[in-house]
Amino acid sequence: MFSGAFTSVGPSGWESGVLHQTHRTGDLQPVNTSTMMMFSVSHKTVFVVDHCPYMAESSRQQIECDMLTKGRAQGMIPLAPVSKSLWTCAVECSMEYCRILYDIYPAKKLVNYIVSDSECHILNTWREEDQSVQELMTALAAVGPPNPHEDPECCSILHGLVAAVESLCKITGYQHEARTSLADVAHRVSNRGRIICLTNAKSDTHVRMLEDCVLETIQEQNKLAAGSDRLMPIQQCELVLVHLYPQGDDTLVSDRPKKEMTSVLSSEVHSVRAGRHLASKLNVLVQLHFDLASTTITNIPMKEEQHANTSANYDVELLHHRDAHLEFKNSDIGGGSKESGIRETITLKWCTPRTNSVELHYCTGAFRISPVDVNSRPSSCLTNFLLNGRSVLLEQPRKAGSKVISHMLSCHGGEIFLHMLNSTRSTLEDPPSISEGCGGRVTDYRITDFGEFMRENRLTTFPHTPVDAAGRAPFERAKAQLERHTRYWPMIISQTTIFNMQAVVPLANLIVKDTLTEDDVLTCQKTVYNLVDMERKNDPLPISTVGSRGKGPKRDEQYRIMWNELETLVKMHVETSERHQQVLECISACRSKPQEEEERKKRGRKREDKDDKTEKNGKESEDKQWTQDTDRLKGKVEREKENESESGVIKDSPDSPEPFNKKPRLMLEDLQPQEKTKGPVSLLSLWTSRIAQANSRKHPEFAGRLNSISNKAELYQHLKEENGKDVHENGKTTR
Amino acid sequence: MPTVVLMDASLSMTRPVSLEGSEDFQRKNLAVHGLTMLFEHMATNYKLEFTALVAFSSLWELLVPFTRDYNTLQEALSNLEDYDKTCLESALQGVSNIVQQEWGGTCPCQVVLVTDGALGIGRGSLRHSLATLKQRGEDKKFPLPFPFPSKLYIVCIATAEELQATDAMDNLEQLLALSGGEGQIFTMDAPLCLKSVQALFGKLIDQAYMPFHAVLRCGNLASDVQVFPRPEHVLLDEELEPIPKTVHTELEIVGFIEIGDIASPPVLSRHLVLPIAVNKEVDEVGAGAAEEIEEETSTNQMAGKSPNFCVLLHGSLKVEGMVALVQLGTDWFGMLYSQADSKKKSNLMMSIFEPGPEPLPWLGKISQLGPISDALENPYGEDDSKSPFPVLPKSKRSYAQNVTVWIKANGLQTDVQKILRNARKLPEKTQTFYKELNRLRKAALGFGFWDLLKGVAELLERECTLLPDSAHPDAAFQLSHAAQQLKLASSGDPKYLAFDHVITPMLTDFSGGGSGTDRM
Repeated sequence: MFSGAFTSVGPSGWESGVLHQTHRTGDLQPVNTSTMMMFSVSHKTVFVVDHCPYMAESSRQQIECDMLTKGRAQGMIPLAPVSKSLWTCAVECSMEYCRILYDIYPAKKLVNYIVSDSECHILNTWREEDQSVQELMTALAAVGPPNPHEDPECCSILHGLVAAVESLCKITGYQHEARTSLADVAHRVSNRGRIICLTNAKSDTHVRMLEDCVLETIQEQNKLAAGSDRLMPIQQCELVLVHLYPQGDDTLVSDRPKKEMTSVLSSEVHSVRAGRHLASKLNVLVQLHFDLASTTITNIPMKEEQHANTSANYDVELLHHRDAHLEFKNSDIGGGSKESGIRETITLKWCTPRTNSVELHYCTGAFRISPVDVNSRPSSCLTNFLLNGRSVLLEQPRKAGSKVISHMLSCHGGEIFLHMLNSTRSTLEDPPSISEGCGGRVTDYRITDFGEFMRENRLTTFPHTPVDAAGRAPFERAKAQLERHTRYWPMIISQTTIFNMQAVVPLANLIVKDTLTEDDVLTCQKTVYNLVDMERKNDPLPISTVGSRGKGPKRDEQYRIMWNELETLVKMHVETSERHQQVLECISACRSKPQEEEERKKRGRKREDKDDKTEKNGKESEDKQWTQDTDRLKGKVEREKENESESGVIKDSPDSPEPFNKKPRLMLEDLQPQEKTKGPVSLLSLWTSRIAQANSRKHPEFAGRLNSISNKAELYQHLKEENGKDVHENGKTTR
Repeated sequence: MPTVVLMDASLSMTRPVSLEGSEDFQRKNLAVHGLTMLFEHMATNYKLEFTALVAFSSLWELLVPFTRDYNTLQEALSNLEDYDKTCLESALQGVSNIVQQEWGGTCPCQVVLVTDGALGIGRGSLRHSLATLKQRGEDKKFPLPFPFPSKLYIVCIATAEELQATDAMDNLEQLLALSGGEGQIFTMDAPLCLKSVQALFGKLIDQAYMPFHAVLRCGNLASDVQVFPRPEHVLLDEELEPIPKTVHTELEIVGFIEIGDIASPPVLSRHLVLPIAVNKEVDEVGAGAAEEIEEETSTNQMAGKSPNFCVLLHGSLKVEGMVALVQLGTDWFGMLYSQADSKKKSNLMMSIFEPGPEPLPWLGKISQLGPISDALENPYGEDDSKSPFPVLPKSKRSYAQNVTVWIKANGLQTDVQKILRNARKLPEKTQTFYKELNRLRKAALGFGFWDLLKGVAELLERECTLLPDSAHPDAAFQLSHAAQQLKLASSGDPKYLAFDHVITPMLTDFSGGGSGTDRM
């Protein structure tokens, strides 16, 4: 299952739209501002798209939609191909940028879309509910294509750029939250952003004019923002100008790599032909802007549409956070810089899943994906397969050597993640087995019962009730429930009687609850009456005889143990409510009567019972964790014993046998006062005791003599008290 | 986290320590003494750590590959010979190769460099390496920072004053900074003697090799445990001063989740959770506890027989196929599960999630996970047929909804073909025909691609003329109706341009009863 080395991935970025948008521990050198800061440049992206009349021009990339089907209408003249306008190209490529962005970062990466002609049209806000491709498409449909007959003099991209800067000053929900939570250091919440401007510029000078305009606006707006609560000055702005022109034309604007205009503004210019060039440019940009990388899943078997029984292999390219390629960073498989603009992808091989079994893989990162070509047939086949709940392991293609599974595609709640699995040697290999450690030799754990306990203490989500009436969060309540359920929970079978009895189950399940209903109390009482009934009928109890030789305790003693344990359980919960108290009262009331009855009936057996009892007692206290409980039990038993000895009549009656193991006091010191009470001490006894005292300092007294009655030691005593032996062994004998 | 001990075996290590009236010690002897103490400590308290021993001078040699056998390491250490001058750069390169070969590029490693601080002269010296740092090509880059996450501990058999007298201290500090800053430089207190070298390695042990002890709790059930390897602190990447988050020594179980529901979550690290005997007096300082091994074994035997919560938990997690969600700190969680190493051996393992209130999107916020008994009805169903997980996100991803992308020509062509295919099967396919038509219409409006609407209208009109005589009369009506509607939109009529407007099938006499759609 887990086969790899122990790997640690470092702390995550605050804005992670992926799991583990991390840099690794010990990899902290040249600090990259975008990962170290709370709000990086990619928190806010403003699209400014030119809507001036010239954008209505055709891109001159023609698309044949009249695909003549074979055998139909020969000689028919096909309809003229359609071609997208510059505007359509700009819109669909920017929408694709947003689609990928929203797929991979469903939160905390926001887009504001602005369209510019004779004025600016702001299509959405920074609010989360405005952040979706559907929202933007609706707004774009309302704007429509540019009007070619509008007066070009009135129209300008500048309106949009000014609005973009203003928009960057507006605070987002996340920034607001951060400022509120950091009240005293609110000024440290950063405000950065990126403007992607899609336009058709006239010349390099025109481009420079646009840059100057943005710079000036930032300076003005920052002054304004400084005095406002709802605005924030821009600390850093990246301007990405994309000049698009129809195919076949020569560009009037030259490419220019990123350049710092001032400490606040950097600018870069991309000059691209409309159509697929623009699409691939924006694809490269979205990868650069959001730290993405590409993986191509290869060898995906797919049924052919026409021939259902043949299958061919397909490839699907996915985008995801680049950390999913962390382990390739130093290897020969891939990596390298993306600055060249040439898209690089790492190829991983599909491994057809054999079973649907649930396994827990050792996964060091999980990253949301977005297919590059979302509605192509291979892509949708793959994504549908995953959305249906199957997982796919991915293998590194190697020319030689063993198969290395390094990734897994899996879907959780309608989102597909690329999991990074560990594929190197594990530092935890060959650990000592749990059976070799503490508690490893114990064989009668209540595994099934604890399994049941775990099922009862499974978790579920309460998204709509963050706290209950008492102000406790759901996970606090879960912990409180665990506390209640474990107040009395013996870990091994031989430690408990009641939990081995089906008859106790209703009460045991109810008593741990926080509140009991009237009905619950009734059920508990019924359980108790049922037990009383069992006792009257003298039904056997599942008392463990593990550790004791012989038959174990007598039936009535078994019931005593059971009642004691039941009382212990209920007492643990008696403070919870009145009704819990009622259950305890019921037990106390029910158990006393039959007990007295028994006592009257079976007086003769009392002595024997006592020994059995002490034995059981000693055994129960084995477990340190329950010392407290057993102490209480012990106290009870001892009190009972006292009661019995008080009824001296029984003891002195001639037909009650002499207890065979009534041990005389061991120390002579103890004996002396006893003797004293009998009258004057003889010289002999004085002498004997003195000698004995002196001897006792030199050597331990012969055990036989110590235990002897009138100096006659009984031999082979242990044969009679086999049971008593166990008591001595664990050292908890009650004499 | 495996350890590489990088031992300086250059001639300068044989310099005698000038001590009046005592035996003649070389610095090397002190270093060996200190490392012996480290190895003894690890053998007792940190025995699952893999350690390798590398000696270096102008060349380097892997004396002992990664092992948990500390006797082998000890033996190699005592047979260490003396060589020529110090050349740290190549040795560090060697360490880098050794680690990557064994553990790959993602496993964090600790490097313990033991040196006297005489860092060589001329070419190959650390001074020279650092001075030429910026004049190197891709192929001759300085080995630091290591390509794997690392901690560099520099243990100097020299006093701080000694190192500061030359530029050695500066160079070592620079080296540490280059490694990424995780680590420390340890120096000796004067005078150089056995006692101070013990103190020196004691500091290293305290810093890097103290076993992590904690209490694992599930309500009132509890067990003392050792977590191995030690959970490292995590720095949260916030703009404000990052405060390292450390794992609490109280690990509290919150509740239980099925393995299928937690679904191979990403984790920062994995750790063994080993139950330890409760009343065993653990030698916290750890030095020289070897003689107690005999006694310890018998305590362990005793401990083996008394029930332990970890064993119970492990057994039930294994049988039920579940994990326990465990809280490690404020807004920091992990999971406990049974991990099988082989068919016979299995262990209680803990994986640590990324700190934060919502480490796994499919579980939602951890603080919002509560007991099922609080829910109105059991979210798992009476027969365990359901599950409250995964938690669904607010919006669907693009691949889970039928998005329209026409960036590639064939995307557009497929969509047009779909409409035409259905057009030829009218009126049976009326419903799908209009569904596809409306999808195309919406996308065309969003993209401002009115020409396409016109083009498709023309295609539909032509289809109409091509209808065979046998065609259902309704087909012609629907085709011309659809074409008409698209044309109206492409001409810019605001009524037909509305994004939410839907082209509905034309009501004809043939469509029976009005709806005109139920002809499937």
